Amino acid sequence: MSTDLPTSRSAATASVVLAERILTHWRRHPLVPLQSLLLPALLLVTYHLMVSRSMVRLTGADNLGALVSMCTVAGAMMGSIGAGFQIPVDRDNGLLGRFWVQPVRRGSFLAAILLAEAARTAMAGSLILLLGMAFGLRFEGGWLAVIPFLLIPVALIAVFATIVTMVAVHPRSTSMLTVLGAVSIGMAFCTGGVAPVELFPGWLQPAIAVQPLTHVVDAMQALAGGELAGKSLLMSAAWLLGLAVLFAPLAARGYRRAAESGGCG
Amino acid sequence: MTAVAALTERLVRVALRDFDLLIGIATPVATLLGLNAALRHIIDTGTMSYADYVLPAIIVQAMLLGAVTTAERAAWEQSSGFTIRLRAQPVSELAPMTARMLYCLIRGALALAAAVATAHLLGFRLTGGITNTTGFVVLPLILTLALSLGADATGTWLRRSGAGQLLLIPQLILVLASTGLAPADSFPEWIQPFVRHQPVSQITGTLRGLATGNAAVSDLVITAAWCVGLLVALGSIAVRMQRRPR
Repeated sequence: MSTDLPTSRSAATASVVLAERILTHWRRHPLVPLQSLLLPALLLVTYHLMVSRSMVRLTGADNLGALVSMCTVAGAMMGSIGAGFQIPVDRDNGLLGRFWVQPVRRGSFLAAILLAEAARTAMAGSLILLLGMAFGLRFEGGWLAVIPFLLIPVALIAVFATIVTMVAVHPRSTSMLTVLGAVSIGMAFCTGGVAPVELFPGWLQPAIAVQPLTHVVDAMQALAGGELAGKSLLMSAAWLLGLAVLFAPLAARGYRRAAESGGCG
Repeated sequence: MTAVAALTERLVRVALRDFDLLIGIATPVATLLGLNAALRHIIDTGTMSYADYVLPAIIVQAMLLGAVTTAERAAWEQSSGFTIRLRAQPVSELAPMTARMLYCLIRGALALAAAVATAHLLGFRLTGGITNTTGFVVLPLILTLALSLGADATGTWLRRSGAGQLLLIPQLILVLASTGLAPADSFPEWIQPFVRHQPVSQITGTLRGLATGNAAVSDLVITAAWCVGLLVALGSIAVRMQRRPR
């Protein structure tokens, strides 16, 4: 009788297979990918049409780099929330429990979610970037900046997905997910993407300066503008690392509890 | 009538539990404060303050969002088997839909009140007298009722939650590419004809007129025709959808 423990290589394979399962689900029920692509794309187009003239008249630039960054981030986060609604469904119909008893490293399940989210974000981010380029966005400092420009939202979503998972495995999570969605969209709008931060009222400025998404959008905008994104990049990394350290263990623990609940929620 | 009252109470209780009512009230407040904070120095609205200018768009947006959540609710009542079980009860087949519409009106009225109260803090005043003010209140409610009927039909037909999410897309285009958030001159020339003539521009323009008491009669007639027309058209579809045998 063989009692081989799963190796780390098989854990990686399992993560990829499980991530493919999620991606297949999205292909068949394309609500999540549609949501994470169409809504930010439309927001980008309509908002750009609405403010670009006024913005040029006022500041001399159309703020497109920041707007594209904000739309990428906001869309990816909305997609994560949408995907999060599937987790309680899978728990209640017993799927998580059935996966849990397979000879697979338990970490693979969370890893698969992050992997699928990252793939979706990279894909949607590229398409939104193409749209932005059609409106005249250019990478002033060479096209190689495209790679970090797309990797920043991917890293952000990998961290955000742990928060979404942590909330989604909570016994009564749907309304909490809605609130999390509203808060994160609100935070995404309180960045330089909607308007240059200097134009926001004074009392809001400290909150804007502190919150993580401001740094993320600033770093992406700087990369598009060919500037050195040093400080905002460092701040983003520090924020993301801190949030990951805080929420990844909580997400793992919550996921375990959900999987072992036997589907009775 | 008691069935409708009971079903409406049930919807309100659910909405208190899943925060839908809270979100319905918080969204217009947050969007008004947010847009006013971000755009009041950017969009040139002439002598009118930006908060005054944008309030009708916030109201229309809240009415549209209320309709979007109706689709979700109707789809859920179909897919969970709730409606089908009610068929075994001595209850009119239109009662569940009537209750959803009453809930929508409650949600709409609260959202409207929240938006106007927030705008009041930013300096907005209804200066058009009693007739204009009545119009300012009634028009959005007719609009949300009409669109909720359409959304209800969509949700009943799709029978799957997520229906509402897709309705967000046309709603986003109509609100952002309208004169509700920025005057038509702010848009590039090629899109201005669409921006000027689409329904959200029409309705927000009329509401702006009603707020100050100088709405043009022709404007008022066109807007009322839009709202009542949508109400009749979408209402008849929604009723037919409820009576559809399955």
